[in-house]
Amino acid sequence: MTSVDVPSTSASTTPASSAELATKEFGEGSTKVRALDEISVAFEPRRFSAIMGPSGSGKSTLLHCLAALEPLTSGRAFISGTDLSDLNDRELTELRRDRIGFVFQTFNLLPMLSAEKNITLQRRLAREKIDREWFDTVVDSLELRDRLHHRPSELSGGQQQRVAVARALINRPEIIFADEPTGNLDSASGQEVLDFLRRAVDEFGQTVVMVTHDPGAAATADRVVFLADGRIVDEMSGPTTERVLEKLKDLGP
Amino acid sequence: MFRLTLDSLLARKFRLLSTTLSITIGVAFLTGSFLLIDTMGRAFDDLLSDVNQGIDAEVRSSEVIETGFGDIRGRIDASVVDVVSDVEGVEAVEGVVVGYAQLVDTDGEAMGNPGQGAPTLGFAWTDIDELNPMDLVEGTAPLAPTDVVIDRASARNGPFSVGDDITVLTQAGPQTFVVSGIATFGAADSPLGASIAIFEPETAQRLLGEPGRYDMIDIVAAEGVSQSELRDRVAAVAPAGTEVITGEELIAESQNDIAEALSFFNTFMLIFSGIALFVAAFIIYNTFSILVAQRTRELALLRSLGARKRQILLSVLGEAIVVGIVASLIGIGAGVGVARLLQGLLDLIGLSLPTAGLVFRPATVVWSLVVGVGMTAVSALPPSRRSAAVAPMEAIRSAAVERTGLSLRRLVGSLILLASGIAVLAWGLFGDSSSTTLIIGIGAVAVFLGVAALAPVVATPFADVVGRPIAWLRGVPGELARENAMRNPRRTATTAAALMIGVGLVATISIFAASATASINKIIDDAIVGDIVIDSGAFGFGGLSPELATRLNEAPEVEAASGIRLGFADIDGEAQTVYGIDAETSGRIFDVGVVAGSIESMGVDNLAVFDEYAAEQGWSLGDTVEVVFAETGAQEMTIAAVYERDELAGNVFVGNSAFEANYPSVFDFQVYVLGADGFTTTEVRSAVEAVAADYANAEVQDLTEYKQGQADQINQILSFVYALLFLAIIIALIGIANTLALSVLERTHELGLLRAIGMTRRQLRSSIRWESVLIALLGTALGAVIGVFFGWAIVEALRDDGFSELRFPVGQLLIAVALAAIAGVVAATLPARRAARMNVLGAVAAE
Repeated sequence: MTSVDVPSTSASTTPASSAELATKEFGEGSTKVRALDEISVAFEPRRFSAIMGPSGSGKSTLLHCLAALEPLTSGRAFISGTDLSDLNDRELTELRRDRIGFVFQTFNLLPMLSAEKNITLQRRLAREKIDREWFDTVVDSLELRDRLHHRPSELSGGQQQRVAVARALINRPEIIFADEPTGNLDSASGQEVLDFLRRAVDEFGQTVVMVTHDPGAAATADRVVFLADGRIVDEMSGPTTERVLEKLKDLGP
Repeated sequence: MFRLTLDSLLARKFRLLSTTLSITIGVAFLTGSFLLIDTMGRAFDDLLSDVNQGIDAEVRSSEVIETGFGDIRGRIDASVVDVVSDVEGVEAVEGVVVGYAQLVDTDGEAMGNPGQGAPTLGFAWTDIDELNPMDLVEGTAPLAPTDVVIDRASARNGPFSVGDDITVLTQAGPQTFVVSGIATFGAADSPLGASIAIFEPETAQRLLGEPGRYDMIDIVAAEGVSQSELRDRVAAVAPAGTEVITGEELIAESQNDIAEALSFFNTFMLIFSGIALFVAAFIIYNTFSILVAQRTRELALLRSLGARKRQILLSVLGEAIVVGIVASLIGIGAGVGVARLLQGLLDLIGLSLPTAGLVFRPATVVWSLVVGVGMTAVSALPPSRRSAAVAPMEAIRSAAVERTGLSLRRLVGSLILLASGIAVLAWGLFGDSSSTTLIIGIGAVAVFLGVAALAPVVATPFADVVGRPIAWLRGVPGELARENAMRNPRRTATTAAALMIGVGLVATISIFAASATASINKIIDDAIVGDIVIDSGAFGFGGLSPELATRLNEAPEVEAASGIRLGFADIDGEAQTVYGIDAETSGRIFDVGVVAGSIESMGVDNLAVFDEYAAEQGWSLGDTVEVVFAETGAQEMTIAAVYERDELAGNVFVGNSAFEANYPSVFDFQVYVLGADGFTTTEVRSAVEAVAADYANAEVQDLTEYKQGQADQINQILSFVYALLFLAIIIALIGIANTLALSVLERTHELGLLRAIGMTRRQLRSSIRWESVLIALLGTALGAVIGVFFGWAIVEALRDDGFSELRFPVGQLLIAVALAAIAGVVAATLPARRAARMNVLGAVAAE
C-alpha cells in the first residue's frame, strides 16, 4: 500500500491528540521503571499515525496515556486541546465515551451482546440516539450487514475486529486509538482491518493513532513515530514497509 | 498435591471467605443449639434433683392419665400421712400441696405468663428442711392463714417487702395476703423463673387443692434405712389406689418427663440448624462450581502435565475439606455466642436459665465438626468430580460463553427428584406415620433440591422477561445486568436457589398463619353467639376462678355467662381432653351444632360427644360409656347430646356439675358472656369490666379484640420462627454476594473494556446491582411458588383439625418480593464497589 496525499495542516490547527513532557513511571523505589520519559508529540486531525518501537519501548503506555486510560506521572496529555489532567474520573470516562474510539488487540467485544449491540454500545451508554443513516453507512462499508445479530463467539477474528472498528466509527469520535489491531489476526484479515482504518481517515475524515509492531501495518499510515526506551527517537512521513524495517533494525530488538 | 491445594487456597483466600462465612454461620447455629439444648437439659435436671433431693420415698395416687402434657394424677387422702408415719424407719413425713397461684404486682397486673412461660406455683409450707427446696432469707414462715412467703425474684419485680399486702390469684379467686417472708431457691432468686407462693398447709389445701387431701406424700428415711427398704416398708401399708417410689426413681422419672417435654424444642432448634446448613450447602456447591469453571485452564494444564484424575479430584476436594474444618472450628467458637443469644431470647419470654456455664460436651464439638466438614465435602463433591473430568485439551481451548441448559438426563432426573419429593411430602402430611416430622423434612428437602435442579431451565426466560423493563428503564447497565443473569443459567439458578429456601419457608409460614387466623375467625364467628370473651391467658394450668362466671351471671346486664374449663380423662384407653361448660347457659352463648339431644339438661352423669367421634366409637345418643378420671376413677356417663362442631368443644364435653364432681380443682380458662336485651354493648362491657377488675389475670375483650388477640398470638410465635429463618436468608445473601464477586473477577477484562469505552463507575455498579436484583427476584419467585405449594398442602392436611380456610397473604408476599429486590441491592454492595474500584483500565491494557 502506498502512502496517500495528506491534506496540509496549518500551524493553527489544534492537534487531535498531543502530549507535553509526558512521563510515566511504574513501581516504587528500586523497582521503579520509567516507561515514558518526557515525551512531547502531537497527532494532527484527519491523519493516520502509527507508533512503533521495540518491546518495552513504551509505545502501548503512550497510547494508554494519550487515550485517557492511564494517568501520567508528570507532564500533560490533550485530546483536541482538553487537558486530561484537569479531568476527574467521571469526566475522563465521559470523554472516552463521547470523544474517543477504541480498537484493541483482544477482548474487544462483550461476549453476551450481539454485534449490533456491541457497535452501538458507546452511544447507548451515553443514552443518546443512534444516527441510523450513519450506522448503515458504517455497517455497509465494513460489510457487517448480515452479521449484526451474531454474537462475538459466532464471528471470525477478522469479523470481530471489524465490529470493533464499526463501534469506534459509529461514535464519530475526535480520534480513534488502535492498540495492535492486527496482532491477533491472520494476514488477510489484518489487511482488511487496516484498509478499513485507512478508509476511515480518507473517506470519513477520521483521525487514527495506531500502535503496531508490524512494519507492513505501519506502512498503511501517513506518519510513523518511533519510540525507544520511553523517548521518541525518530519519525517518518509516507512510510513504506522497507523503510520502516530499516529503521527498526537501527533501533535494535 | 497437598502443596497445590494449599497454594490455591491462599491464592483464593478472599473468594473463599464468604464460603467460610456461610459454613461458619450454619455450624455456629448447630453448636449453639446443642449447647442450649444441653444447658437447658442440665438446668432442668439439676432443678429436679435439687427439688427432690431430700425425698427418700414418695406416696402418690396410682390413678394416672397420660396426656401429651405429662401425667395427670389424682390426689390422696390426708389420712395416709398418719399411716405412713407409723412405719419403722420413717424419720419425717409431709403431705405435699402444689397448684396454681399467680401473684399480682403493685400495679394490679398479674405477674408471669403460665400459658407460655415459666409456671406460677403455689405450695404448702413445710418445716422439714429436707423436703423444703426453698430457703427463707427474710421474715418468717407462713403461720397464719393470711400469710404468704414469696420468691425473691417476685419480691423484686412486685416490688414487695416483708409485711406488704399482696393479692394472689388461686382457684378460690383473688385474695389478699401479707408477705410474711421472702425465700430463695438455693443461690437463685427463683427456680428457672417460676414464681412461688408458699402458704400455711391448710390454707394451701383450700387454695390450691382440696381440704383433707394431698397431691402426694414425701418421706424422709431414718439414719441407716435405704430408699428401697423404705419404699418396700411403706408400700406394705399404703392403701389401695396409691403407689410408692423411691426418691431416686422420682428424680429419674421427672428428669425423663422434662427431657420428653424438651424434645419438641430440641427438634425445633435442630430443624433450624439444618435449614441454615442446607442453605450453606448450596453456597459451597456454587462457589466450588465457579472456582472449578474458572480454573479449567489451570486444571487442564495440570492434566496435560501428567496429573491424574484422582489427584485433581483430591486437590479440589481437599481444598473444600480444609475450608470446612477451618469454618467449622470458627463456627463452634461462635456457637457459644449464638447459645448466649438464644438464652437471651428465652429470657425475654420468661424462661431464665442459669447464666453461669454453658454445658459444653465433647460430643457437641465432634458433631458440629463432623456435620460442618461432612456437609462441605458432600456439597463440594460434584464440582470436584467435574474438575477431574476436565480434558487436557481444554488448556488450549478458550472459554466461550456458557449457555448450558440442562441435558435431557439431568432434566428427567430433576423431575423424578421433584416428583418423589412431592410424593414423600404428601405421605408425611396425609399418610399415617409415626415419624411425620422426619418424612415431611425429607420430602421438603427433595422438593427444594428438585426445584433447584430445574431452576436453570427457568433462569434464562425469567431473567429475559423480568430483565426487559430493567433494561428499558436503566439503559445499558440494565441490559448488561439482564444479559449477565442469562449468560450462565446454572450459576444464576444455584445462587437463587439458596435464597429460594428461606423465602419458600417464610411464604409457607405466612400462608399457614393467614389460614390459621382466618380459620380461627371463622370458628369464632360460627360458634360464638356471645358478645364478650374474658381470657385468662392460661391453658390447662390455672386460670380464672369459677367465682367470676357466677358473679357475672348475677349482673342484670348479663343474659348468660359460661366459663370453659378443661381436664383430661381416659376414654377407651386413650387420654381425651374433657371440656366443661355451664350446661344451662352455654346453649345461648355457643353454637356447637347439636344434632341430637340437648345440652341444657346435662347433669352430673351426662356428657356430650362429637358426632364423628361417636361414630368412630360406635356410640349414639342415650348410650352409657365409661370415662376414667384421675381423681374419681371410672364413671358411667350417659350421652345426652351429639354435636357436629368440634373446633371449640373437642371430642367430649360435660356440664359444670359433672366437671366439678370429677375434678377437685376448677379453673375457667375463658369466660364467654352474652349481654342481656335492653343494654347497649358498651353498658354490658362496662358491667363485665367492673366485675372482672377484681381478677388481675382476666382480660375482657369483645369478639373483634379476641380475634385480634388470637392472630397476635399466632404472629408472636411466628416472629420467633421468622427470626430463625432470617438467618437462612442472610446466608443466602452472602451467597449472592459471593457469586457476584466471583463473576466480577471472571469478567475483569469485560469490565475493563466497558470502563475503557466509557462506562462510568456509577453505571458499572448499577449493572452489578441489577444483576443481583434479578438473581434475588428469581430466588424469591421460586421460593414463593414452593411456599404457596407447601402452604396449600399443609392447610389441606390440617383441614380435619379445623383449618377450614386457605388464605394467601398477597400483600405480605408482595412485600417479600420488594424486600428480596432490596436484599439483592444490599448483597451487591461489596462486589459492585470492588468492581468499580478494580484497576480495570490496567486490566484491559495488560492484554
